[in-house]
Amino acid sequence: MINFFISMRMLKKNFILILCFQFVFALGFSQSAVPLKTKSDSILYQFKNPSKDRILAVSHRGAWNYAPENSLMAIQRCIDIGIDIVEIDVRLTKDGQLVLMHDKTIDRTTTGKGKVSNFTLAELQSFRLKNACGVKGSRQQIPTLEEAMLLAKGKIMINLDKVEGETVKEAYEILKKTGTINQAIFKGRETVQTMYKKFGPIMDTIIYMPIVIDNVDDPSQYVNDYNEKQKPYAYEVTFKSVNSKKFKLIKELNKLNVTVLTIPLWDDLTAGYTDELVLLEGPDAGWGWLIENGSNAIMTDRPDELLNYLRSKGLHD
Amino acid sequence: MKFKIIGILSLVAALCACEKKKTALEKRDTTTISVDNDTIRIEKLINNLENSNNKEIMVIAHRGDWRNAPENSLQAIQNCIDMGVDMVEIDVRETKDGQLVLMHDTTIDRTTKGKGPVKEWTLDSLRTLRLVDGLSVPTNHQIPTLEEALLLCKGKILVNLDKSYDIFDKCFEVVEKTGTLNQVIIKGGKTKSEVEEEFGEYLDKVFFMPVINLSNPDAVTIIDEYLEDGSPIAFEFIVPQDTIATINRFKSLRENGSGVWVNSLWSPHNGGHEDEKAVLDPSVYDWYVDNNIDMIQTDRPGILLEYLRGKGLHD
Repeated sequence: MINFFISMRMLKKNFILILCFQFVFALGFSQSAVPLKTKSDSILYQFKNPSKDRILAVSHRGAWNYAPENSLMAIQRCIDIGIDIVEIDVRLTKDGQLVLMHDKTIDRTTTGKGKVSNFTLAELQSFRLKNACGVKGSRQQIPTLEEAMLLAKGKIMINLDKVEGETVKEAYEILKKTGTINQAIFKGRETVQTMYKKFGPIMDTIIYMPIVIDNVDDPSQYVNDYNEKQKPYAYEVTFKSVNSKKFKLIKELNKLNVTVLTIPLWDDLTAGYTDELVLLEGPDAGWGWLIENGSNAIMTDRPDELLNYLRSKGLHD
Repeated sequence: MKFKIIGILSLVAALCACEKKKTALEKRDTTTISVDNDTIRIEKLINNLENSNNKEIMVIAHRGDWRNAPENSLQAIQNCIDMGVDMVEIDVRETKDGQLVLMHDTTIDRTTKGKGPVKEWTLDSLRTLRLVDGLSVPTNHQIPTLEEALLLCKGKILVNLDKSYDIFDKCFEVVEKTGTLNQVIIKGGKTKSEVEEEFGEYLDKVFFMPVINLSNPDAVTIIDEYLEDGSPIAFEFIVPQDTIATINRFKSLRENGSGVWVNSLWSPHNGGHEDEKAVLDPSVYDWYVDNNIDMIQTDRPGILLEYLRGKGLHD
């Protein structure tokens, strides 16, 4: 019943959003011929047209404080509360299926033991996922990427982790099959040259978000190379300190009008301006600081609290 | 040289970040709430625990609010206090040097990055570790001592000490020292005669709650034995099937002065009326209300509180 109300409320809000976008289209501000029909269309529009006034809320591994990480229920929860992008991890089974799993082994998050790559999909589905902290009692199974994309279809964008350099092609096939190419954001930390060498034309079809992290010595060059060849809509930027080149890069990226995703999960990723700091000092000290310093998208372990904060600031619908 | 400078600068930044957090912690710690409010709050909770005939249903949070803070951490307890949970269930274990700390498993492997049984670690060495969050990533939270946990709970929330039965002489010292005797409830799955023999000296001093599995053929005898001279503060029942006839006695047990506690955690405790289903449909909790259960231990304190408040069964 509560879910029903939430979704009714969201429908209403979506409707208003859609009207707004249609108005924008009518004025001819966009070249796109496809009208924005679904919630995920409007999220994609936001992703391609970053703004300081509307921040994208990204949930790490689904709402794992509500349901097991990388479970369908954790994705559904993100949809229900109004998250824009849910980050999930994808791995290949013994029989070549893509399933959602963070670690290489299933030990931490399921009732089973062993490497994902040593099990068939059918074998994996006989286990049950565990709740956060390994607390038992969940009935959720390990989902396939296909199930996750069908659940997400039209409702939320998906950020695919752990596919880089390994399973881009396999993941792409699932997206084609489920009609969700426009809803999945791939990411990786390789140079644009390496990515094109490995995956060729697929790179021109998928949404690809380069990660700016430790292995990038010259962030400006890395970005320039991507911009010349692929023109990404977004970059994921991490910085250990505010003196790092990667932090300074954010200002340059803001000028390029691309989405800047920061991930305040742990100290090293956002110079200590983390979810944990939010808990201790309040959201302005953490998330507010990131927004002031150029983030258009924030990935969090506390999706409810982030949305409450963004809504209270008028930065989210 | 350049790298050195960057290194030093990031070190300074990291130190600043640490400093900042420390200040925030201190700030929180010194927040004082007037003693009177605490007295009123805890008296209300104790009265409710002792009164099995009112319509208030008590919410007990399993291992604290482990969804939003590490299980058995001070923050997990604080979150329960803030939410309005009535009782927090925490697990007690003894360290190598005889100190009592909060830890569920016999080993520290799952909830910290350390390894081995709690009883092979001294308190000081445990204090060098950090508790992990739900993704197994270390947080800033440490393993708390029982004393710290009870001081945090004092005046604010009732406490169920799990795994404490066998080390209760030690637990009792801490409970007395912290002045939380009237807030603590202990449970055990033994018969009355066993409890009197092993636990007798404490029976008049703390709230003791027997745990009885209703699938046990002797369940009724065990209940009756406990009722011989007076009613326990509460009974915890394990209810593997919801067709067990003894459920019909819950009403009279409450009229006689005992609370009736059932866990909504997992199906074998409640014949399928579990938290995991209630997430999708909170009316699953109707079964508890309809069957005169007035104490529910849950992994979903937020959802259960919302449900009970909606029904006027919790303030």
